[in-house]
Amino acid sequence: MAVRTPRQIGEDVWKTRIEKVNAELVTLTYGSVVAQLCKDFTNDYIQVNEQLDKMGYNIGIRLIEDILARTNSERCRSFKDTAEMISKVGFKIFLNITPAILNWSQDNKQFSLIFDDNPLSDFVELPDDGKAINELWYSNILCGVLRGALEMVQLQVEAKFVSDVLRGDDTTEMRVTLIRVLEDEMPVGDE
Amino acid sequence: MSKLPTPSRASSDKSSSHPGFAVRSSATSSSLASRRATVYDRNMNRRAPDLALSTFAFLFSEMVQYSQKNVKGVQEMENRLSAYGYHVGQRVLELATVREIKNAKRETRVLGLLQFINTTIWKAIFGKVADALEKSKDQEDEYMIIDNNPVANSYISVPKELSSLDCASFQAGVIEAVMDGCQFPAKITAHSVPTELYPLKTVFLVKLDPLVIEREKYMR
Amino acid sequence: MTIYSFWIFDRHCECIYHKDFKRPMRQLRPTSALSSTDPKQRNTSGGPPKGSGPLTVDDESKLVFGVVFSLRNMVKKLSGDQESFFSFKTTKYKLHFFETQTNLRFVMVTDTRVDGVRPILEQIYAGLYVEYVVKNPLSPPEHPGGEGVNNELFTLGLDRFLRPLSIFE
Repeated sequence: MAVRTPRQIGEDVWKTRIEKVNAELVTLTYGSVVAQLCKDFTNDYIQVNEQLDKMGYNIGIRLIEDILARTNSERCRSFKDTAEMISKVGFKIFLNITPAILNWSQDNKQFSLIFDDNPLSDFVELPDDGKAINELWYSNILCGVLRGALEMVQLQVEAKFVSDVLRGDDTTEMRVTLIRVLEDEMPVGDE
Repeated sequence: MSKLPTPSRASSDKSSSHPGFAVRSSATSSSLASRRATVYDRNMNRRAPDLALSTFAFLFSEMVQYSQKNVKGVQEMENRLSAYGYHVGQRVLELATVREIKNAKRETRVLGLLQFINTTIWKAIFGKVADALEKSKDQEDEYMIIDNNPVANSYISVPKELSSLDCASFQAGVIEAVMDGCQFPAKITAHSVPTELYPLKTVFLVKLDPLVIEREKYMR
Repeated sequence: MTIYSFWIFDRHCECIYHKDFKRPMRQLRPTSALSSTDPKQRNTSGGPPKGSGPLTVDDESKLVFGVVFSLRNMVKKLSGDQESFFSFKTTKYKLHFFETQTNLRFVMVTDTRVDGVRPILEQIYAGLYVEYVVKNPLSPPEHPGGEGVNNELFTLGLDRFLRPLSIFE
């Protein structure tokens, strides 16, 4: 059987194996989550970012199983392969976008995802309190999703936004860094 | 309700106040400069293509998990889910109103508004019309919107100890916001009524504010 | 042909689901919350067993995991990280194994004549576990003590899936 590229895998799953919902349901529901957190943390956006990241982590833990169950794909052999899978399969299936992969570091452990389109932030303007625009990473849940999903396939990463068009930046960019490859856990009391 | 999104500032002075980000972003594609259009330049009739049901399900999972924290009971949990839905409903109503502007008419009667929710609103946000709209036989101020397979209940398996919980309360919140927004204040609650064929079936019970009943009488 | 038992272990090496169909290996004494719900399948001789008496479900779970985990690790050491084993056989039973990239381990113990269980385990993962446990908003993201796995949709789904199979009696 011919080896399929990540793009083929993503397109194939997207076209044939996905039950769909209205995008605005997702967009507005995500908006309600961010708004609720802003309320719960009384507009302490640093805490909102953290909570979004935590929620994303929990989502990532679940979501990776859905990807693996649908794609049946082999384990990635390099972090470059992983980046391709994240963009062309992960983001394709769940947000119908394929962010560009750019700015690899020399040691191949760091890259950027550039979001041309981001369904989560459709209709969104940050609160006009002079603070949100400097502190809130509106789509921060995505960082957590990557962290959680990759941890499940034994890759510990750090993911964070470095720019966002919502803040007036020219691009929306997430920086992803491989910290280390995790060892399989051993049973308790076993050496 | 928090107020995301809020009115805009002039977009031109945004980047100049954050020179730090300009450096990083200049390293990336130049085609992106056109993205500077604000949310207000957007064509509201353009609907984004559908997304995966799983995306909603995973997001909703975290909302449910987060709502379960420090919760005192099923009622409070449902209220929290309903509050999320309310936020969504406010915006769905606005979008629907803008998009239907050509054949828009102001609903002045309860039944007309409920039919609007049952069809237009349900389709706009949940992708299908609701399965039924019924009037209560005993209570003058109660109506029921019925969804055999509410999207919020996809994948839900309710444990016995929480048997009265209906996560479709989220959708009850959507209805409540639309009714409030149209000046028909009402309390909406979700009640699961599982059947063999539709194990996730939910009845949304619409209990109208006495004010609305009073007004209906004048209009007869 | 017969299925004896079915197990799921998570990445933390914890048994998060277990169901006995028939007893192949040894008599058990009941202990764990995860144990079978059918009392007929349990040791009913009464009194706390001592020393080398019958195994508890917990003990058995640890042994089953120990066996598959060691075997898996040795297979990987022998022939590379991508390698895995499918099954092994004793005179009394056959143990089938499927591991996901997320280190979820699915184990099914059957009689010795049963073949081709791996696709069944894969289907349990993709069609039942992911749909009814992973996507269930009322299940937590992870399952310490099996929390959230043993829900109605999953157990019903598993039963409906396995019963019509030829390997089920």
